[in-house]
Amino acid sequence: MLSNIGNSILFFNLLLSLSIIYFAFQELKRNYNFINKKIYYISLIQSTLIIICFFTLIAGFLISDFSINAVYQNSHSLKPTFYKISGTWGNHEGSLLLWVIILTIFSFLFLVTNKNHSKKYRVYTLITQNILIIGFIFFILFNSNPFDVIIPTPNEGLGLNPILQDPALAIHPPLLYLGFVGSSIYFSAAIASLLTNYSGHNFARSIKNWVLISWSFQTIGILAGSIWAYYELGWGGFWFWDPVENASLLPWFAMTALIHSLIVLEKRKQLYFWVIILCLLTFTLSVVGTFLVRSGILNSVHTFANDPSRGIYILIFLSLMIFGSLSILFKRFKSNTYNFNYNSKETFILVNNWFMIFYLFTVFLGTIYPIVTEVFYSQKISVGPPFYNTVIIPIVILFLFFMSIGPKVRWIKDNIDNLKTTLMILLGSVLINLFIFLFFKSYSLLSNLILISSIFLIISTARDAINLLKNKEYNISRIIAHFSFGLLILFIGLNYNFSSEKDFNLKVGEVKKFENFSIKFKDLNLKEFKNYKAVIGTFEIDDFKDNTKLFLSPQIRIYDNPSTLTYEASIRSGLLKDFYITMSNIDRSDYYNIKFQKKPFMVWIWISVILISLSGFLRFFKYENKIN
Amino acid sequence: MRVKTLILSFVIIMNISNVFANDINKNEIFKNIRCLICQGQSVADSNSDFAQTIKLVVNDLIDDGKSENEIYNFLIEKYGEWIVYKPPFNSFTSILWIFPYLAFIIGGVLIFLLINKRENR
Repeated sequence: MLSNIGNSILFFNLLLSLSIIYFAFQELKRNYNFINKKIYYISLIQSTLIIICFFTLIAGFLISDFSINAVYQNSHSLKPTFYKISGTWGNHEGSLLLWVIILTIFSFLFLVTNKNHSKKYRVYTLITQNILIIGFIFFILFNSNPFDVIIPTPNEGLGLNPILQDPALAIHPPLLYLGFVGSSIYFSAAIASLLTNYSGHNFARSIKNWVLISWSFQTIGILAGSIWAYYELGWGGFWFWDPVENASLLPWFAMTALIHSLIVLEKRKQLYFWVIILCLLTFTLSVVGTFLVRSGILNSVHTFANDPSRGIYILIFLSLMIFGSLSILFKRFKSNTYNFNYNSKETFILVNNWFMIFYLFTVFLGTIYPIVTEVFYSQKISVGPPFYNTVIIPIVILFLFFMSIGPKVRWIKDNIDNLKTTLMILLGSVLINLFIFLFFKSYSLLSNLILISSIFLIISTARDAINLLKNKEYNISRIIAHFSFGLLILFIGLNYNFSSEKDFNLKVGEVKKFENFSIKFKDLNLKEFKNYKAVIGTFEIDDFKDNTKLFLSPQIRIYDNPSTLTYEASIRSGLLKDFYITMSNIDRSDYYNIKFQKKPFMVWIWISVILISLSGFLRFFKYENKIN
Repeated sequence: MRVKTLILSFVIIMNISNVFANDINKNEIFKNIRCLICQGQSVADSNSDFAQTIKLVVNDLIDDGKSENEIYNFLIEKYGEWIVYKPPFNSFTSILWIFPYLAFIIGGVLIFLLINKRENR
């Protein structure tokens, strides 16, 4: 029943998209400067229906209708209600439906919020966006349909992977998708702008908010995934340069480059084609990311070969998208006259883009390279954290310095008169770094440079803030973003250098002493929960240095459906440091393997990223007020 | 001038103290080795038997006075390049290691040309 509703709505939406495209082309022939109400209505109906369609799937999960394939594959009648709902988008098929919802709603919102822009431009954006919608609905209907029916209806579902039953992971995909898929609208707008020769200034104004909002959501979405990885995967890290993580970072780099170069296009009417390329690139990278993650090609070329249909569909779609947009781009490309001075804001924004493209290229190469060597040389290699750290970190140091100096420079041309202050700030940063390693611990040259450059950025931005506050005309978002990026790098640097961990085996009643800690394994309890059993250990941790005592209780959970063992870390978060403990059983033994970690400034890493994302939202609301 | 001397002396002090931060870090090595039977985990983060064995092997090698690179080479010979997260530089991986820097340089040159174009006019 539910599956029929879902399927019919999807099919109907396909027809609606086609009709929008048809009516849109009709509109282009008419001379008046407004868009026919009919198109608004169809677009509204389309958005409403796709939301209903999504709720239909949620309903299927809520009532555990196992005749629906997606529900059978990813749910279980005993699962807590919250995770039944989040299970809706916690799988390939459901998340694709979420993808189409965002495509559709953004299409409608773009239509209604850009009334002061040229009609042709809006109509072409609508057409392109609906072509994308059709592509994805096709994919859902003929390849990855969450509403597929299973006959006969199974009595019970297979359950959701326990490590996905988690609040951070419940909100991670929707946030990330608002970023990922949100970028589709400026892909469409870029195509429309090319086709209609729309003025760069107006184009920049119309997409600015969309870039800001998708960037902010992308940032916070990446953070949600990172926090989840930190406490759920039990390893105490927050970023592993895993291909799946990289896939979310690639569009982020492109968006960040875009946010900056859009300013040049808006204020100085330059870089038009470069901005267009970045718009096209961002959404293309989002689809590439989806391809890499969903096709299974990342783990091994062989999983891809086992179930190639998904991957091949996305690959074809991707090729058509790239080919289509590139051919339009080349047709319309005109070489521009550029007018840059070496010491102008424009130049520094170009420098930002230069670094962003470097990061993007490096991460992209690192992510796909193992596939390349396996296919062409049948040589399996791993490209992990040490590669990215070696290649990227030295460049980040340079980047932070540019980031500190750049925003101070005026438009068109500036003189170098701030050299003295800059040197003073640099000296201050070196001093602070000196204090850190003299009083606490020494670290490598690279870490020294990272710390100095991030402190330099923080102080420079803070100083800008004070100066700009006097002038009354300031961009608070830029200051927050750059300041918190400095904080982020600083805290990552400190966290990296001051983390400590200890690995040992204990049985109940024993005490382990090391450095200034004493850890006592107090007791072990077995508890029954709704959908799992848990072995809960209690540990008493004494820190002689701070004279503090705390209790942590890591768990080993035994889930029945599907039957899995998970290890739950126990974390005490604090302003200065986190204590992190995991425990795992050792076969045929009373001993448990205990991993104790001290992770300084974790909270501040999260706060920095939240601030970065906030700066985007702030800019969005400020800009919104300016227009109205 | 005084400012410059100050900076210079600080940089020198820093470099001297860095020399002491160079001993072998076991955990750092474990983090750079892939646990072959796990899903995207390093040996440091895994509790599997495989990870435990590798940790013992690495400990032995450190006791034998082997350097970090010698340990990686030993493991690569045994398990293939798949086991290390930092791919060694060779004919297969030269593109991976060189292209990012090449892209960086090309980007820099492009921006330089763009700015200079105007200066010449």
